[in-house]
Amino acid sequence: MTQALRASFLECSGRERAIKLLDDGTYRELLSPFDGVESPHLEPQGIVPQSDDGVIVARGTINGQQAVVISIEGSFQGGGIGEVSGSKIAGALEIALKQCKNGIKVIPVLVFDTGGVRLQEANYGLLSIAEIGAAIVALRRHVPVIAVIPGKIGAFGGMSITAGLCSAIIMTREGRLGLNGPEVIEQEAGIREFDSKDRPLIWSTIGGEQRTAAGFADLLIEDDTESIKEAVLYMIKSGAIFAPRTEQVERYEAFLNQLDLSQRLTPEDVRRLWNEPCKKTVGESQSVSENVKSEGRGQTWFDLLRDGAPEISNVPSVRVADALIEETKVRYIAVVPDTQSRFSRARNGEVGLREGWTIAKYIREAIQEDQNGEKRAIVAIVDVPSQAYGYHEELLGIHQACAAAVDAYASARINGHPVVSFIPGNAISGAFLSHGMQAHRLIALRDPGVTVHVMSKKSAARITHRSLEELEAAAKKVPAMAYDIESFQKLGALHSLVDGIEADSPELKDRDSIYKEIKEAIEDIETVGSMDLEVRLTSPLAQDGGRAASILVRKKLNEQWN
Amino acid sequence: METLKYTFPATKKISQRAHVGVVGSGDMEVIVEPYEGAEAEVTVRTGVTGFKKTWEAVIDRFFTQHDIAAKVKINDFGATPGVVTIRLAQALEVSSLDTSVKS
Repeated sequence: MTQALRASFLECSGRERAIKLLDDGTYRELLSPFDGVESPHLEPQGIVPQSDDGVIVARGTINGQQAVVISIEGSFQGGGIGEVSGSKIAGALEIALKQCKNGIKVIPVLVFDTGGVRLQEANYGLLSIAEIGAAIVALRRHVPVIAVIPGKIGAFGGMSITAGLCSAIIMTREGRLGLNGPEVIEQEAGIREFDSKDRPLIWSTIGGEQRTAAGFADLLIEDDTESIKEAVLYMIKSGAIFAPRTEQVERYEAFLNQLDLSQRLTPEDVRRLWNEPCKKTVGESQSVSENVKSEGRGQTWFDLLRDGAPEISNVPSVRVADALIEETKVRYIAVVPDTQSRFSRARNGEVGLREGWTIAKYIREAIQEDQNGEKRAIVAIVDVPSQAYGYHEELLGIHQACAAAVDAYASARINGHPVVSFIPGNAISGAFLSHGMQAHRLIALRDPGVTVHVMSKKSAARITHRSLEELEAAAKKVPAMAYDIESFQKLGALHSLVDGIEADSPELKDRDSIYKEIKEAIEDIETVGSMDLEVRLTSPLAQDGGRAASILVRKKLNEQWN
Repeated sequence: METLKYTFPATKKISQRAHVGVVGSGDMEVIVEPYEGAEAEVTVRTGVTGFKKTWEAVIDRFFTQHDIAAKVKINDFGATPGVVTIRLAQALEVSSLDTSVKS
């Protein structure tokens, strides 16, 4: 009877995890603690920075193959993604992508231990996570991108969407994977919806065992370093055989349609339903009645811009129509409130399970239809208050629904469709990541009702242990923390900020101005010709200080790569 | 947040740079790098204010006992004096690793 002693992977620091995944003696860290590239945004807020900003990027080999391991240190600021840490991840993936395009295969392995966006750097985190997602979707065309979620924190927020974009996900029982953290759901939806102190509830909903059994992760393994290495190697070898989850739109659509949500589903229900072939479907088969109108800027602008073009979506909260701007074909997509939605936590225009998968469906349809012809432009009309916060949302994998939407927009972009976001209202958090952030160009209205942020002020205060007053004071110092569109503009990601438009009740002249903006953005995309999001870093405002650290990190990574 | 700086005269060289610890709850990060000058230059950044005297005592004791010419950076997230001393000792051990001992 011999039993080898296990060497815990979970108990290792972020750096030790990276060292262990790479072949002995091949570990070489990029932007190590001695390079001292730390977050410039923490000290002004009275927070001690860390010399590697909580992300370890290491080159080396795995079983002799070139690899880059990106490991997040969960003990520093909850593994939150700020400008530097986010750019380390995005930058490393972007170089790996360039290498792959040049025929040198580099396998990326991401070790997650993160609560998502670092709230003290808010919109920098949001921008970085969009860039990380863009790189992963592009990389997956060349190499498998492996996610490991060993646990302690897990993968939350925007980074759960990132995990959902990977080719394969390896988890332990300790690992958790979910869009909204338990505290945030409790804050936003109440303790009856989710009790953040109930640890068995948390792990049974979003823990590694449940996630693997319900189809949201690929492999459940023991917390043992050797097992994790074997699992990673297995995934690299077999990576190509998995159909990415984000592309399985029909399966997830059927899965959601068969659910009876009148009662609280149990984790066991979800496992059973996922593994059963789909039988009946409820609702949603009828197409949207054009008479059912919701309130809000999303609906208003959708109707104005489509100008009578017929609607094609069968989901009331996701409006889709094909129209023309002069000779240019455009598919408009808007997420709007649906007060009758079966998903009670997604009735106010939030991006929820159904919204994420439906966005993916209609974008993939356009990609498919235009495969051999003119690629129509995709225009996202963005007025989204947040992602949906709820028990069912987490249990049924809202992070995966969001990842599906992200992947679809990014794939449209990579396949040559001009993708433009028009923001007449709120662009918040995971909802914006899923619906808007993957666009080549962002157009927003200069209007007090147009806001960009990662979390409601109340939740952000709760999570960062600050008062609302302290939070607002910090927002004045760091533009990335502010909610208004003018602060967001300083980061250089906007293509244009349009003045003098009546945002709530636009008239025909307002419509024509926006047509002109969209047309101009599409032409710019075609002139510049790049398929990625690089323009957000090369814009004058980004170069002029808006993304100083993001640019510096990428420059240094490039210098140190070889 | 508070930034504290100390210098101590030093004569002995260290053989390599070292990094240990993490800026996480009750812990701290230390970076030690060889320094050409004849002193130890210590910079402490701590999120917990009001413990200047304690820091002075702990740092003073350590660098009086260990005569090393080095640049030392400490990023602290509420480490107790015991943890501070252990982290410093650990960093010193890594930075002074002799190749003859290593094998």
